[in-house]
Amino acid sequence: MGSSSACDGTLSLDEFNASAKALVTKWRGIDVDALPDWEWRPCRKMGVPSETEGFVALEGVYRIRAGSQQIEESSDDPVPDDDVVGHDTSVQSSRDNVHLYDFHIVYSFSYKVPVLYFQGLQAGGQLLTLDEIKKDLPPHSLQLLNESKWTFITREEHPHLSRPWFTLHPCGTSDWMKLLLHKLGDKDRSLQYLPAWLSVAGQAVGLKIPLKLYCSS
Amino acid sequence: RKVVVHVRSAGNAPILKQDKFKISGRDKFLRVIEFLRRQLHQDTLFVYVNSSFSPSPDELIIDLYNNFAIDGKLVVNYALSAAWG
Repeated sequence: MGSSSACDGTLSLDEFNASAKALVTKWRGIDVDALPDWEWRPCRKMGVPSETEGFVALEGVYRIRAGSQQIEESSDDPVPDDDVVGHDTSVQSSRDNVHLYDFHIVYSFSYKVPVLYFQGLQAGGQLLTLDEIKKDLPPHSLQLLNESKWTFITREEHPHLSRPWFTLHPCGTSDWMKLLLHKLGDKDRSLQYLPAWLSVAGQAVGLKIPLKLYCSS
Repeated sequence: RKVVVHVRSAGNAPILKQDKFKISGRDKFLRVIEFLRRQLHQDTLFVYVNSSFSPSPDELIIDLYNNFAIDGKLVVNYALSAAWG
């Protein structure tokens, strides 16, 4: 079927599906406390869930709006650089200061790589603009987005939800995936593809991926 | 506690004369990134650990070392990232 992820940094739809399911399983097993779980969403054609097409979704990620000062900190802890706050952390801020993010990993048939689609919402449900989203990002993410041709944001129609979302453009993906997967054998390459990919995509959008995802079980 | 980091060039990145050094486990990965940027005079580097992922700059060196070191060294690869302009 499609080309294997051999040396060119791409992967086939079957490999994507397998890697996605492995990601969901492994993530659930490592008990990530600051983030919800990734979920597999099969595509629906005429109401029937597809066996072969779907995407992975991480939804309801909280970020405290940049500049809001209402978080109650315990006495001596420094304010963390990372704006992501887990949904079971008690936050003494008003609802208006929380932004909610959804992240979807969708397979691109034209580039044969995963693509990250994301959107941010205010507490009242209004969509955030790109400028507002960038204000929520740590400086390292902004640097990645501004400086590298491999990681930049565009606005595209979500292939399964028919609405424009923001996306990390896939054109550079195979270049850096080639580097990340270089040392792995074929079987490892397929399954490890998404965690490896996520380590970079996550940094570009301020999503902190736990190290445990990369430890062998 | 200091740990040994071994940096390796990948792709067409220049090879550094000094490719092994010791760094405090309490430092963050950012220090390795900054070291590489200075030595290579490049801001846009793609930096990743041997086990095929790119760590966030605020990961602690000791965490990376404990989980991913091989033969007493943390291997960090670097490549030139495609930069704008």
